[in-house]
Amino acid sequence: MSVNDFVLPGDVVQTVKSVRGVTVVGPGLRQNEEKPNTLCVTQAGKLCFKEPNTYWIEGKRNRYIPKKGDLVVGIVVKKVGDTLKIDIGSAEFASLSMLAFEGATKKQKPDVQVGDIIYAKLLNAHREMEPELVCIDSYYKAGKLGVLSNDGYLINISLNLAQRLLSIENPLLRTLGKKIPYEIVLGVNRKMWLFAKKAKDIITLVRCFEAAENQIDKNIIEVCKQFK
Amino acid sequence: MEKLNFSCKLGVLSRPDGSAMFCEGDLKISSFLGETIVIAGLYGPVEVKMQKVLIDKASVECSYRPKSGLPGVEDRLYESLIRNICETSLMAALYPRSAVLITLQEMHNNGQLISCAINAACLACLDSGIDMKFMFGSVTCFLTKQEELCLKPPINEKDIKAFFVFVFDNTKGRILASHTKGSFSKEQYEEALHLSREESKNVFIFFKKSMHTND
Repeated sequence: MSVNDFVLPGDVVQTVKSVRGVTVVGPGLRQNEEKPNTLCVTQAGKLCFKEPNTYWIEGKRNRYIPKKGDLVVGIVVKKVGDTLKIDIGSAEFASLSMLAFEGATKKQKPDVQVGDIIYAKLLNAHREMEPELVCIDSYYKAGKLGVLSNDGYLINISLNLAQRLLSIENPLLRTLGKKIPYEIVLGVNRKMWLFAKKAKDIITLVRCFEAAENQIDKNIIEVCKQFK
Repeated sequence: MEKLNFSCKLGVLSRPDGSAMFCEGDLKISSFLGETIVIAGLYGPVEVKMQKVLIDKASVECSYRPKSGLPGVEDRLYESLIRNICETSLMAALYPRSAVLITLQEMHNNGQLISCAINAACLACLDSGIDMKFMFGSVTCFLTKQEELCLKPPINEKDIKAFFVFVFDNTKGRILASHTKGSFSKEQYEEALHLSREESKNVFIFFKKSMHTND
């Protein structure tokens, strides 16, 4: 198995590059227990490699698995005392403390209702524990994080598209912005919050994202021109 | 020995994380009659019920629906067989305190239903991108009244003396499960095992081809 091959679970990557005995292993791979210097594939997809020592599998995973530091969009599903339970699309609801908002104190809590949409950062995501969210950075400032307006729309996109749109080189969001003024919040957890003044614009945007899902980055703009 | 024909369609269902329709058999005999079709869907890792939570790994659940009516005792047996296979092959330890749900729906049965359901489950797992230690593929072998072994089901159901279902992994060709029905000798079992093992390689080639074209 070499780089850029299509691999399946059970395949073994024999030649692994490492720097001072260290290889960085990404999703879809794990260390082979029988031969420690080789890697086992656990997901179907393309084997990718980045200099000097990083390996990962680019497959189509559909379920979001929380990672520390991820920026996610979630829906408030429950209020339990001072904490909120947020659905971020993972196996378990994430918890968000009412005090983890900018300027919040014990007496002055933010106004958050069940059903609100929240843009937050994962403070803590370990598979043995429930994920924990915060709406402030390490300087206690909210930045862009917090409750999103109820006038927007929430849509689900594929995990792959979310990651592609978040890349700085991706031209889609900028190109759409020239035609239609809109606001967007993209979470890595497949959820996307959209706001535009007209309902027609929202529909056009949603259709553009649906079309972009099956297109490679270069062709995206061409395809989206059809949706004017 | 004649080769089996496979066909499949991935991502047939919109709600599950991974889904596959797997078809085994001969399309040429007559449309829809000479083949076995199963649809499989996989949700996972998702939230688990309180009484089924395992603290060190994901709990794998399987539900099998027959073509019509409610699942009976025999269907429960298939369910537990498929559940055990999936539990060994999925890396359940990566998702503790969660559940992986596999749903299978029989569409058409021409004899090799169990192996078809197992193969559909494997394709659904691959489609969902859940972490697996290895793939699994299954083959059914039939023993006719004339003491002949064949991989294609005899046209008349009464000709079947016994049948064997074997499940193999794709790394070393180890047996993951074996299910038999009917009477047969030890030699016949071993011959059927050998035959199925050879055929299972074709199953894995088919899996690779269909996953690659879908990618």
